[in-house]
Amino acid sequence: MVGRRHSVFKQILVGFDGSEQSRKAANTAISLAHCLDAKVLVLAVARPPEPATSVELEAVLDNAKEHFEAAFVPLRESAKNAEVEMETDIAVGHPAEQIIHRAEQSKMDLIVLGCRGTSTFHRWILGSVSEKVLRYAHCPVMVLR
Amino acid sequence: MQNVWVLAAVWVGLALIATLIAIWFKISTALSEIVVGTVAQLVIGAFLAKVNLGARTEWISFLAGTGAIVLTFLAGAELDPTIFRAKWKEATLVGLVGFFGPFLGCTAIAHFVLHWGMRQSWLAGVALSTTSVAVVYAVMLELGFNVTDFGKAILAACFINDLGTVIALGLIFSPFTVRTVIFVVVSVVVFAVLPFLTPRFFKKYGGRVSELEAKYILLLLFAMGGLAAWAGSEAVLPAYIIGMVLAGTVGKDHILIRRLRTLTFGLLTPFYFIRAGSFVSVPALAAAPLIFVVLFFAKMISKVVGLLPTVYAFKYQRNETLYYTLMMSTGLTFGTISALFGLNHQIISEAQYSFLVATVIGSAVVPTMIANAFFMPRHLLHKEVQSKEPNPQLATSPN
Repeated sequence: MVGRRHSVFKQILVGFDGSEQSRKAANTAISLAHCLDAKVLVLAVARPPEPATSVELEAVLDNAKEHFEAAFVPLRESAKNAEVEMETDIAVGHPAEQIIHRAEQSKMDLIVLGCRGTSTFHRWILGSVSEKVLRYAHCPVMVLR
Repeated sequence: MQNVWVLAAVWVGLALIATLIAIWFKISTALSEIVVGTVAQLVIGAFLAKVNLGARTEWISFLAGTGAIVLTFLAGAELDPTIFRAKWKEATLVGLVGFFGPFLGCTAIAHFVLHWGMRQSWLAGVALSTTSVAVVYAVMLELGFNVTDFGKAILAACFINDLGTVIALGLIFSPFTVRTVIFVVVSVVVFAVLPFLTPRFFKKYGGRVSELEAKYILLLLFAMGGLAAWAGSEAVLPAYIIGMVLAGTVGKDHILIRRLRTLTFGLLTPFYFIRAGSFVSVPALAAAPLIFVVLFFAKMISKVVGLLPTVYAFKYQRNETLYYTLMMSTGLTFGTISALFGLNHQIISEAQYSFLVATVIGSAVVPTMIANAFFMPRHLLHKEVQSKEPNPQLATSPN
């Protein structure tokens, strides 16, 4: 109990994209929050196509909202079962930047991400979200494989 | 009959490839379809001599044209009337500057530097005057400015900018005859009546499996498009304005908008953008790349010179001003529509069309890259955005 009261990590942010790795990251964060008496914010980021074009952007955002809201349901259930206070939110933009920005803005103590396996080509063209977050985040980052 | 299905299979196959490319590289489907159309025509032309994609086949032209019309309608319907009513003064000023700056600048450059004829130069001015509402909106969502007064004004200004483009396209090249007067008069009456008639009609007969709402919208678009064509104008002009006047009613009906989007993206716009790409002549681009460079910088400079002081007057941070000015220098959809209009009406040649489309694509991609690399207001990542309200589009859900 003493450890829980003086826990370093009181607020945990999870980067979530609906993939299996991100669900694993979210569940890990919930378990961690349960042990540390911390709160969890699950942040999904809808990435607009580039360049964003008329009508397609709205369609992408609408679809993303539906997709993520459905994906949040089992996470909310897990958090409820673990008696962990959890919030969910959906941001728009580049995933790594939104995660970093939100972590700073909301004064998060820890960021938890899943590591999505991407090809060398994709990493070169699009970059790795977890690598960018690791590099620029203001707080500790946990990347799960 | 068999050839029709083979041709349809080829086109839908190309659309599928374009969609996969867009998914893999996280680029817009429109851009991907234009590039696929260009490459497909190049490859087919190289290996099969005189065989082409059949882009001038009547039914493909019809589907492509319908795609442009419905897409333009949906773009107009995205306008938020309450924001526009609140910010119409700033929006009109910035929007008109954003339109006239590149319109006149690019026309002058095309005529005096590239020695294009007058009509070709006007067309170049129209095609390069566009601003992408979607790009600006995406950036604002990212930075949380869509809920600020500044952001709302800029968004509304983008609609005014594109309205200027569409009106210029519809009126500059049409012969001013009695038909034009009839078209304008009928259009004004229709635009005035629609916001009252449409919701009442839908309330009485809508909400059924027979999709009455979609048929009604298509009837409007086809009828007004036909009237526009009869008057020598362009069908997208009434489509955009119909979208804007119905933005407060039909635009808020998400179910109807989703169905129209499915029809548009699933069937119509692939034909439009692939067709647009298939007319791009890569050899022409390769033969005179400097023309593309001149047009590209003409658009960028005229937008920046016109918009920078205007936007700066409303906002104080230099970095953000530059960022938004660069974002407003993009414009893929309406630029392509304008260029293709010019080609279809034989105002511009295939080579000129190729340069304009390349410039439009370049203006959609390059400013975004430059802005993100050098002018992204990164200071916002290190301090809270002042007066940031929760994004009404995407809800926060507590456990």
